[in-house]
Amino acid sequence: MTLAVEELNAQGGLLGRKFQPIFADTCRQTAEEVVGAARMLIEKHQVHAIICGYNIGPQNSEYEPIADAGIIYVHANTLLQHHDTIMSDPKRYFGCFMADPADYWYGPGFIKFISWLRDTGQWTPSSDRLAIIAGSKPYSIVIAQSMAAAAVDYGWRLCFGPKIVQTPTTEWRQVIDEVRATNPAVVANTHFYAGDLAYFQRQFMENPIDCLVYLQYGAMHRTFADIAQEASVGIIVSSVIGLLRDEVGKSFEARYNARFGEGASATIGCQSYSNMHHYAVAAAMAGGSGAPGDFEQNRRVARALKGMIYRSVHGTIRYHPDWQAAVPYPVVTHDPSLGMPHIFYQIHDHRKPLSMIAPEPYNTERFILPPWMSRRGGLQKPASANGLGPGRPAGGA
Amino acid sequence: MAEKADHETDIPSALDPAVLAGLDALPSGITIWRPDRRLVHVNETLRRTLGIAPASGELFDDFMIRLAHSREVVLEDPNRWVREEIADFGQEKSADYILAAGLVMNVTQRPTRDGGMAATYSDVTTTKRNEHALREAKETAEATDEAKSRFLRAANHDLRQPLASLKILIYSCMREADEETRAEMLHAMSVAALIMEDLLGALLQIGQLDAGRIKPRVTSFQLSQLFERLNIQFRHQAEEKGLRLRFVTPRDTVATDRALLERILSNFVANAIRFTEVGGVVIGCRKEGKLLRVEIVDTGRGIKDADRERVFDEFYRVTDERRSEKTGLGLGLNIVRRLADLLELPVGLRSRSGHGSIFSVTVPFGNIWHSEGGDAEISEAVAGEFVGVPVLLVEDDDILRRSMTQLLQRWGIEVHAAANEDEALRLARGGAQVRLIIADYNLTSRTGLEVVRELRKAFGTETPAFIVTADAEPKVLNGIREAGLPVLIKPASPPRLRVLMHNLLFEPEQIRRPD
Repeated sequence: MTLAVEELNAQGGLLGRKFQPIFADTCRQTAEEVVGAARMLIEKHQVHAIICGYNIGPQNSEYEPIADAGIIYVHANTLLQHHDTIMSDPKRYFGCFMADPADYWYGPGFIKFISWLRDTGQWTPSSDRLAIIAGSKPYSIVIAQSMAAAAVDYGWRLCFGPKIVQTPTTEWRQVIDEVRATNPAVVANTHFYAGDLAYFQRQFMENPIDCLVYLQYGAMHRTFADIAQEASVGIIVSSVIGLLRDEVGKSFEARYNARFGEGASATIGCQSYSNMHHYAVAAAMAGGSGAPGDFEQNRRVARALKGMIYRSVHGTIRYHPDWQAAVPYPVVTHDPSLGMPHIFYQIHDHRKPLSMIAPEPYNTERFILPPWMSRRGGLQKPASANGLGPGRPAGGA
Repeated sequence: MAEKADHETDIPSALDPAVLAGLDALPSGITIWRPDRRLVHVNETLRRTLGIAPASGELFDDFMIRLAHSREVVLEDPNRWVREEIADFGQEKSADYILAAGLVMNVTQRPTRDGGMAATYSDVTTTKRNEHALREAKETAEATDEAKSRFLRAANHDLRQPLASLKILIYSCMREADEETRAEMLHAMSVAALIMEDLLGALLQIGQLDAGRIKPRVTSFQLSQLFERLNIQFRHQAEEKGLRLRFVTPRDTVATDRALLERILSNFVANAIRFTEVGGVVIGCRKEGKLLRVEIVDTGRGIKDADRERVFDEFYRVTDERRSEKTGLGLGLNIVRRLADLLELPVGLRSRSGHGSIFSVTVPFGNIWHSEGGDAEISEAVAGEFVGVPVLLVEDDDILRRSMTQLLQRWGIEVHAAANEDEALRLARGGAQVRLIIADYNLTSRTGLEVVRELRKAFGTETPAFIVTADAEPKVLNGIREAGLPVLIKPASPPRLRVLMHNLLFEPEQIRRPD
């Protein structure tokens, strides 16, 4: 956010006026804390817009003070509830935008990903059995449900779950034993805390099952690999919003690290950075931003946000006209220029950045068979298209 | 004139400049050859259009050889052509040639009276194209006309049959006194009407196909979804006939028009069920390189070799089928053929008379990433966190009960709604298993607290519950909290409702008493 505001102000700000960021801490992201922060920003600071990463605790409670004030709100909450709230009263929530696709899309996206591995011969599953473990947060439950709902159409059979485990937790042995008894070809854990998932993976590796392991979002964080170490090699993780490894993404990462130091997480920072830039362009197009109460001006900004196809450092933000949420690629749009890529990563070496293995045209590396799995049906075949170099040897660690 | 002509032939260079300019302005190319086969004159038009032209004084034979091997003209056998042209010098003839540039050129030659030869070279591309297009259009029109007439004759015949039965049945029915016979006749009438309806429906489909009104929309999708729909559509028909109907569900993604492929497959399956008396029908797939063959295998009577080619013709029915009343229209497979042609999908048939048939259609694989699953529809009713959670709602206000039920159902919740304690208890005792109770505080005869207590007794377990109330009196609220139940004040905002329900159902330790 700081970087975006600095860049924008260096270029002259919004029609000659400088952007002034005000930060509010939402602490543990509970409804009270997030709603309180939104109220404080609106009432005390009279902000024209609230732009942030994600606050998933309040389940949209913060939309109410924002809608009452008629300002713009852009976030990356990744929540299905956003759709329900917006569509229940599009006029009232005209200014609320979710700049990434809903958690829901993780489900069909993941099912298509494992089916793609299977159908292109990159991996020969031991069976059609799929086990799903969910954390107890709404986000985890929704992802688990949407995975389960999509599985059958693509030839997968649910052999376990979705079982909701009380999270946070670091004790997974019991549920892993239950999963082992069902002998799955794939196990997905939709809980998303990096530390918890690291313990899951370490406990899984004590007596690994011959199956693919998918861990939700948190396994992307450095903390995960730091705790799981070598046990992390081979796991798959994905994000419906992630910094791309192309020229645009790399240039951003370099600026980000130059500003905040090496090791700063550009992959997370890119979200509010892009949202801020996108908002600034829309406000400029609309002829300026609107203070609380200036519904008319903010409606113009909202229209500009909705009408613009914006290529950010993490792919395209194109708001769906009814959902006011970013459309995902490739699950909803088949055109990479019109949707935000749902990126699949695999850990090939726990000391290095994750390998981006799907979807085309953004992938930079290939899937490898996790070191704990047995090889069957001959050698893995390379993925279909794109002149990628030879794959890395299996088991980088 | 004769004198002048002689003079000109002898001294070509002395041609009047006005005559030369005139010859160059003509739209056709011109060459004039002397009796000794040497070129006297070539105009500018030919030089321009042909890209290769004879030089003054050049021998006709040499020019032909040069032209044949220049590749300016498309010739099947250049050497033979040269021989023929040389032999035909001075003969009257005309021929069309296709030039390398795509033009059609007409070359007409005539002998001159002194034993030489003159030739014109005209661009007839437009005329030829028009002729060709006209001829094609005429042939298509004639073929369509013939097909239409044949089709109408057959349709007329097939429509007349049930119509004739109907007329007889109506006439007999009017005179029939016996109730039972009348009922039988009415049933037969409804069957005849059904046949006519099917036939008209099929005719309409064919009409639309012929008129080019059906435009395929090719997408990638999961074949499993089509199989599921077909299973629902045909399960009962197969059961009624005592046939086994089995779908071996594939996991593959295919790329074609989904609705039209469904029509092809449903015609195949309908046909298979219709012509199978014992055994069953199996629908499955086989990989064939980069294609997938969908097969419909039946244990029916099979098709004789002689009929195999014709079963896809309109109104064609295998001969002994005509005996029984409702054996189908003979249009299904014709529709299949037309649809398959439209989609460019090969259809196949293997059969042994008396042993059953295998009809098939072969489709290309699709891109799994582009597959249109049911997933394109985003909805909390499909995968929201509360999907399938049974909830008991006790609310005596009709409007509120209805709106609350709607909201909860939109989130995928299975709502059991009751207007009062009695109804709620009846639901509980009737076997309703719920994971959450939502009760209004001010119910007509009792408070929500008492109802929750009674319900928990009936369920025999401490089912999670909360109270909603419009009464913001601190005394009331404290009373509810002291009873250990969370409370929401009406109108409860959906986000607050979500948070509370989520915590009660999935993270009970998160519950704090609201302040």
